[in-house]
Amino acid sequence: MVDVIKVNNLTKEFKAKQKEAGLRGSLKSVFKPQYKSLKAVNEVSFNLKKGEMVGFIGPNGAGKSTAIKMMTGILFPTEGKISVLNYNPQKERKKLAFKIGSVFGQKPQLWYHLPAIDTFNLFSKIYELDEKTYQKRLNRLVELFDVKSFINQPVRKLSLGQRMRCELIASLLHQPKVLFLDEPTIGLDIVVKKKMRELIRKLNKEEGITVILTSHDMEDVESLCKRLIIINHGKIVYDGPTKKIRAEHLTRKRIVVVLEEKVDNLGIKNVKQLYRGAYKHAIEVDTAKYPVREVIKKILSKHKVNDITILDPPIEEIIEQIFKKEV
Amino acid sequence: MGFNKYVEVGKISLSNSLVYLMDFLAKSLFIGLIIFIFINLWKVVYGDSTSLIDGFTINMMVWYLVMTESIVTSQGKLLEEIGEEIRSGNIAQSLNKPYNFIVFKYASGFGNTFLRFIMTFTIGAIITLIFVGGINVQLVHLPLILLTVLFALTINFLMMALLGIFAFWLEDARALHFIYQKFVFVLGGMLLPLELFPQWLGDFSRVLPFSYVAYHPAKLWVMFNWSDFVNVIMNQLFWIVIFIITIALVYRICIEKISINGG
Repeated sequence: MVDVIKVNNLTKEFKAKQKEAGLRGSLKSVFKPQYKSLKAVNEVSFNLKKGEMVGFIGPNGAGKSTAIKMMTGILFPTEGKISVLNYNPQKERKKLAFKIGSVFGQKPQLWYHLPAIDTFNLFSKIYELDEKTYQKRLNRLVELFDVKSFINQPVRKLSLGQRMRCELIASLLHQPKVLFLDEPTIGLDIVVKKKMRELIRKLNKEEGITVILTSHDMEDVESLCKRLIIINHGKIVYDGPTKKIRAEHLTRKRIVVVLEEKVDNLGIKNVKQLYRGAYKHAIEVDTAKYPVREVIKKILSKHKVNDITILDPPIEEIIEQIFKKEV
Repeated sequence: MGFNKYVEVGKISLSNSLVYLMDFLAKSLFIGLIIFIFINLWKVVYGDSTSLIDGFTINMMVWYLVMTESIVTSQGKLLEEIGEEIRSGNIAQSLNKPYNFIVFKYASGFGNTFLRFIMTFTIGAIITLIFVGGINVQLVHLPLILLTVLFALTINFLMMALLGIFAFWLEDARALHFIYQKFVFVLGGMLLPLELFPQWLGDFSRVLPFSYVAYHPAKLWVMFNWSDFVNVIMNQLFWIVIFIITIALVYRICIEKISINGG
C-alpha cells in the first residue's frame, strides 16, 4: 500500500507574548514585550497509508490542530518535512486543496442564511467540477446521507445534526482522497453521533478515503479508527493499534458487586474503593499485583453475592494515565 | 473555469445579503438624512442660489456629496470582517480551499457593495431632487463615470484589504478602520471638494490614493471633462496595480508567519 501522508520530524515553534497579570503587566508588555517560544509540535513523524483511518488524540493544546493545519498547508513548519499525496502542502497548497476535504466541527462552511444546496453549488464551482460529475456525486451523497428533505431549507433552520451532515457533504463533493475531521461530532446527540460514524465508515470503505480524525469523544475514535496516535506536549506518546492501548496500559479492572446483605466494607485489601453503598460496591484492582481471579474468589467466599460485573476502566482514564506518566 | 468560482461566490453572497435588505435600506436612509442636513448647511453657506464657491454651484456641491457618500459608505465592514476572520481562526476554512483568499473576498463583497451604492445613490438623488434640484449630466458620460466609480470601489476595497491583512499582526483591525475612514472623509474629499482646501493641502490630497476613491469620480460626475477623465482613469489603474502588488507581497510574507487562533 502507498503512503498517502508522510510526516518527518515535524516541528512548529510559536512565539508567544508573555504578560504578567494585571494592568502593570500589560503596560510592561507594551513597552518591553517578552517572548517565549513554544514548541506546539515537536519532532513528530508518522506515515499514513491509503484508506487508513487514524485518530488523533490529545488534551487541548497538545498540538493536534497545529499538526493538521501544517498537513493542509495553512501553517508553515519550523522544521521537518511533510508530503501529502506527494504534494508539498506549503508550496502547493492550492493544488492540494483540490484533493483534500475538511470538516471543522466548530467552524461551519455552509452559508448560514441560504439553503445547503446553494453552498454545494458554489463548492462545485470552487472545486471546478463539471456539471455532470457534480450532479451524480451530489445525488449519491444526498441519498447516502439522507438529507433530501431539507437541503432546500436555509441552513439556520436546520438542527445541528442535519447541519453536520450537510457540512460533511460539502467537504466530500470533490471526492477528496484525504479527509480531515476535526471534532465532527461535537455537540451531537448519541443517535446522530452513531449515524455520523456509520457514514464515515461507509465512505472510507467504499471510496478508500484516508481519514484523519481528531475528537474528544473516545468512542468516536474507538469505533472508527484502528490506529491511534496520541499527542501530548507536541510529541507523539503513542502510535499503534487502538485496541492495543487497552492491552498494554490496561493493568486495572473494575469490579462491581451487588450483595444480598448490607455490608459496610467488602474487606478486601490492596484494592481501591471507588464506590461504597449499602448493597453495591465498586473496587478497582491492579491486576499486575493482584489477579482478578483471586479477588473474586475472596469476595465470593466472604459475601453472598447477587450480581457481579467486571469492567475495563474507560479509555479516557487509560489515556489520562499515559499523559500523567509523560509528565 | 478558474474565474467562474469568483462569479459564483459574488452571486451567492448577494443572495445571502438580501436577507439583510432592510438593514441595507436603513443605512442608506441614514445617509440620506446626512445629505439632507448638508443640503440645509450648504443653503445657508450659499445664501443666494446663483453664487459659486470655487467653481461649484450649490447643486453641484450637493450632487458631489451624494456621489462621494454613496461610494465611500458602500464598502461595508470589509476590514472588520477580515480582521474577525483572522481573530476567530475561521480563516483556516478559507485557506484550505482552492481559491485566492483576497480575490474571493473581493468577488463575494462586490455584489453587496454595488447594491449598496445603487441604493444610497438613489435615496440621495431623490432627496436632492426634491430639495435642491437636478444637475446637468450628459447621458453619454454616464458609463464613463460609472467606470471610474467601479475603479473607486476597487481601490477602496484594496486599501481596506491591505489594512485587513495587518490584522495578522495587530489582532484587531478596528482602529485601522477608524483611521482609514477619517482619511477618506477628509483627504479623500468625501465631505468637501479638494478645491475648498488650502492650496497646499488640496494639491497634496489630490495625488493621494484616497482622493481616487471619492473626490475624483465625484468631480467628474458634476463637472465632466475628457482630459480629467483620462487622467483619473490612468491614475486609478496605477493605484490599483500598486495595491495589488503590495497586497500580494505582504500577503505572501504574512501567510508564512501567521499563527491561526483557536484550536
